[in-house]
Amino acid sequence: MNKGTGVGIGPTAAAAAAAAQKQKTMMHRVDTDIASIVDNFTQLVNVARVNDPPVRNSQETFMMEMRAARMVQAADSLLKLVSELKQTAIFSGFASLNDHVEHRTNEFNQQAEKTDRMLARIGDEAAASLKEFESHYYSSAQRTAETE
Amino acid sequence: MDGNLEISLDKLPVKRLDAIEENGAERYPPDSSYDEKGVSLIRRIDFAWAVEDDEERERKKKQKKSSKDASAAWQWQSMVENLQLAHQELSVIIDLINTVEANDAVTVAGMTRPKPLPNEVLSDLAVSAATKLQCYRQLGKYFKQSAKAFKEQIAWEARFYGALIRLQQNWKVKRQRVAASASSNEGFTIDLFDNSLYDLAAMCRPSSLSTIRVEHDSAGMLAINLTPNSCRSLHFGFLGVHSADIPKNTSKIRTHGSVEQRIRESEKESISDDDYVKETHTLLREVHQSIFNDQVFEMLNREAFNQSVGVNVTGIRENYLQLSIGQGNTLFISLMPSNKGDNQDSADTQNLESAIVPSHSFDTENKWVFPNRTSCEIYLQQIFHENAFVKEKDKPNLSGTQASGQSGKVEPSLLGHRIFSSIVLTELENVVCRVPYLHLMTHPTWHSRTSSWTVFMKVPQSILHAESQSPKSDFQNMKEAIKSQFRTKVVLNDDRINVEGEGAPNVVGLFKSSENICSVNKYECDLADLPVIILLQVASQVIYWLHEEALTVGIKTNRDFLCLTFELEQGETVSLVAHVNPGDIKGGISWWLVMEDGFAEDWKLQMDMHDGASDYRKFLGHLTLDVLYSTSMDLVSMCGGGRNH
Repeated sequence: MNKGTGVGIGPTAAAAAAAAQKQKTMMHRVDTDIASIVDNFTQLVNVARVNDPPVRNSQETFMMEMRAARMVQAADSLLKLVSELKQTAIFSGFASLNDHVEHRTNEFNQQAEKTDRMLARIGDEAAASLKEFESHYYSSAQRTAETE
Repeated sequence: MDGNLEISLDKLPVKRLDAIEENGAERYPPDSSYDEKGVSLIRRIDFAWAVEDDEERERKKKQKKSSKDASAAWQWQSMVENLQLAHQELSVIIDLINTVEANDAVTVAGMTRPKPLPNEVLSDLAVSAATKLQCYRQLGKYFKQSAKAFKEQIAWEARFYGALIRLQQNWKVKRQRVAASASSNEGFTIDLFDNSLYDLAAMCRPSSLSTIRVEHDSAGMLAINLTPNSCRSLHFGFLGVHSADIPKNTSKIRTHGSVEQRIRESEKESISDDDYVKETHTLLREVHQSIFNDQVFEMLNREAFNQSVGVNVTGIRENYLQLSIGQGNTLFISLMPSNKGDNQDSADTQNLESAIVPSHSFDTENKWVFPNRTSCEIYLQQIFHENAFVKEKDKPNLSGTQASGQSGKVEPSLLGHRIFSSIVLTELENVVCRVPYLHLMTHPTWHSRTSSWTVFMKVPQSILHAESQSPKSDFQNMKEAIKSQFRTKVVLNDDRINVEGEGAPNVVGLFKSSENICSVNKYECDLADLPVIILLQVASQVIYWLHEEALTVGIKTNRDFLCLTFELEQGETVSLVAHVNPGDIKGGISWWLVMEDGFAEDWKLQMDMHDGASDYRKFLGHLTLDVLYSTSMDLVSMCGGGRNH
């Protein structure tokens, strides 16, 4: 898990200890759930023998339903664990997030500089065009005719 | 049992007289004990019907077997009948046992299960196996359903968290630990309020849109639901200006909060997750812009009520602010819902225009005096951005020219300058248009509160060519080449007009021995005097030029501010006098020819000064430079002596 490798320069000792404890808890949950699934499935397979007393078969039927429900519950617990890990990745992935933010900041700064240069160039071109237009206009026959 | 119900009637448990003896004694039958009663009841049970039913059943079976092929019998009918019969027998036996046990007449010593037959054992085993198989199948279905549900949940979470992670790259995602999470809310919010760079003392109150909840839609994808009309855009305008340019703002107006509606309309399933995330990014960006616009408006509200120079609040309503700046110019700034901007902007603006009479009349010409609305909106946003963000970030590097820390005061100064600049340009154009030998050139300063123009007076090329053909020294040619253009520079700083021109005589020139120095004048003036100042400057430049031309041909002339005097023979003087009139439609500068001698002084005092037909004063009209040059050359030719070839 990245949590173990994420302990670096930034977090304090308390945060590192909390992260380690959380990691340990999650591993325990994973082991518990996996063990539950395996154990229940084993029991399911073991009661496949058909017994003579029908009542025992009924009893085993109820037990199989219970073990199946436990398996599904353990699987659901594992899925919730995965969700928690995803959320932790979202809210604790500071390294990648900071890198991304820095990258985007550089991009935007470059874009801002490029835009400024473009605006300056546009301004220069507009000024040159304006100068040319004014020169042409005031030298044109139309303007001369207007003044006449 | 059979359909017919046999009923046996018991005698009433009433003591009936059995016999009466002769002595009158009544003889009743002896009372039976409780056990005897039970035994009598047991003896009354008739199992004959069961035996008869068995016989009939066997008979029917034989009949059915013979007709089995012909009829379409239900395959489980026999089993059902067997089960029913077994049930009946069991019921009877159980009732019997219960009755016997209740009466204590007979006690069940024991019951032994009959030894099952082999086929019964196998059938029981088959039933058990089938039951267990059925159970496993049900478990299999249950596992499949669970697996399908888990797959859907995994896919849902993959979409949701994938989109959330992508959103987190650009936005601040927060998690609220809610105890009971609803099905559509995992407790995630997106915080759009930036409280790290603001001046806390003047911090705006957080907008209601600052925190956006992340929810799920029906497909499991994250969704952001906004209330309609929650996003607002900034609108800027000048009162009294025709609202023809309102549609130019349509680029700012966008539909908002309707991302989901757009997606529903365009078949949601067909849009990929990438497109959906992009749409969400766009929506968040719109909200962010709306928050920014709210903050800009709030800043304007704060600054408008400060004692800023040239800013007066003339009207205020919800999300609407009206200011008066400069010389009676009224503008309004409002926050309007983005999706209603197209429809309501023009209506609201027209209503406002009709409600408030502007301070001075606006015609179509004055419409262009006002700066572009979009540029003003952009500049307002830029001011706020620089003061709120850049100022905090780069305090030592803050440029003093742009945002000098007084954002509210910059804005009206800029607007006032922009409006005044347009007016000044109009005046300059009016002047230049009337004088054919004047050219106007605009110098973009790229400064928001400084504007600059130059009025050129160019000597016609025909005159320059004519001069170049005359035998003159190279030095003189170079000198005249320089003086082919005269410039008058007009600089507008905020609302101060500075005019800088060359060619007019001034105090400095009086002390200079050489007349070849073209002195430069600098002075300030107001708008009303600007046309006159320009025309005076130009007229003086023309006089200077004619003076130089006369000197070139060796004739010494006297140059006054607007007068060039030629000394003729016999002491007579002829003067070319410029008359400046900004209101003259035909041209701003007209010329007079004034002749003076010793005897004409008395005449001049008695004559009407405005009589152009005087012998000593002749109105020449609005002359071009060519005509002036030829006139001055004619006068030069009339001058005698001192002419250098």
